[in-house]
Amino acid sequence: MENLDFGVQTVIKLFEVNGQALGITTTHINTWIVMAALIVIALIVRIKLKNFKEVPESKFQNIVELLIETLSNFTASTMGEKNRNFAYFYGPMFLFILLSNLSGLVGLRPPTADIATTLALGLTTFFMIHGYGVKAKGPGYFKGFLEPMPLLLPLNIVGELATPISLSFRLFGNILGGTIIMGLYYAMMPLVLRIGLPAIFHLYFDVFAGALQTLIFVMLSMTFVSSAMD
Amino acid sequence: MSGFFDLLFGWMGSVDPRALVLAFSAIGAGLAMIAGIGPGIGQGYAAGKAAEAMGKNPEEGGRPATIVMLLGAAVAETSGIFSLVIAIILLFANPLITKEGVGLVLACSAIGAGLAMIAGIGPGIGQGYAAGKAAEAVGKRPKLQNMVVRTMLLGQAVAQTTGIYALIIALLLLFVNIFK
Repeated sequence: MENLDFGVQTVIKLFEVNGQALGITTTHINTWIVMAALIVIALIVRIKLKNFKEVPESKFQNIVELLIETLSNFTASTMGEKNRNFAYFYGPMFLFILLSNLSGLVGLRPPTADIATTLALGLTTFFMIHGYGVKAKGPGYFKGFLEPMPLLLPLNIVGELATPISLSFRLFGNILGGTIIMGLYYAMMPLVLRIGLPAIFHLYFDVFAGALQTLIFVMLSMTFVSSAMD
Repeated sequence: MSGFFDLLFGWMGSVDPRALVLAFSAIGAGLAMIAGIGPGIGQGYAAGKAAEAMGKNPEEGGRPATIVMLLGAAVAETSGIFSLVIAIILLFANPLITKEGVGLVLACSAIGAGLAMIAGIGPGIGQGYAAGKAAEAVGKRPKLQNMVVRTMLLGQAVAQTTGIYALIIALLLLFVNIFK
């Protein structure tokens, strides 16, 4: 059996740096597909928005309102009522990660199975934590690094730097794990076992783990940001 | 004793590097799966607590406790899945075979990757414990299910952190040329 490759493939090579090929990878393409799907949904909602009534009549309006309300309430209950407006950031982030994780179902390599995507999301959280911390408390925010005693300053800094790393690798590791196991299953099993049966594995690795890791990533990010603010 | 090791390493230096890497990958894959101890203990504890909740309060608390137990146990499985992934990479998609470098170092990288994954025992037990306590709490007060589940998931996600660091090191050893 030859070596299987579960890594990211470079589809279009643009240039080389130190012998490392850079270009458009499967991650880029699949991210664009996920983005396109989200944009199409957003446009459909925008077009139908003018038909919306004060009291919902159509099923479509009910679904949209339910989605928005759920995300908004989720944000409010995790970050506190005064931070409800964060739902405008975390809502789309939730949908993007969820759709990325679920894209394995249609045969795409999930963009979240690439450390580049998840690290970008983790770094966004990192800068939000400290940005909103400074915004809420002023320069005094950095005094928090000297607690409980000044001697622990290096440890606190390492702890803060570890946050985006553990956050991004948690999502990356889980989704990559599912991708590898599913890829291996399809590569090894005879054709008979490749029909129908993998649905159970997809249900666990893509749907369950994907939705759970989305929830965990967004919830942890929310908790970190809101705890830096108060 | 040191004479024995000299002999061993001398022998290792003389065999085909590819065979050495393959042999040590096999050991590494086996070692990685030791991490399965963690999820096993943790999930067993969670199952026990859920059974206890079912026995105490079968009408109202039993079903929610079972659901919480299943959810928590599924999260506790994460370390086992990470180990499985590393073992599978070592067996079927081994990047060390085609890598340039000293055969002995590459072979030991395979063992190191497997050894690192043993760290999964900790998160597995801890997450299972959290799942058990959550099942117990929901069995007593089924109305608080949502709050309890969210606290449990948050804590389990943080408890996973060291396991994730182990995964990072294992992936680094396998895919990145650290020792050039």
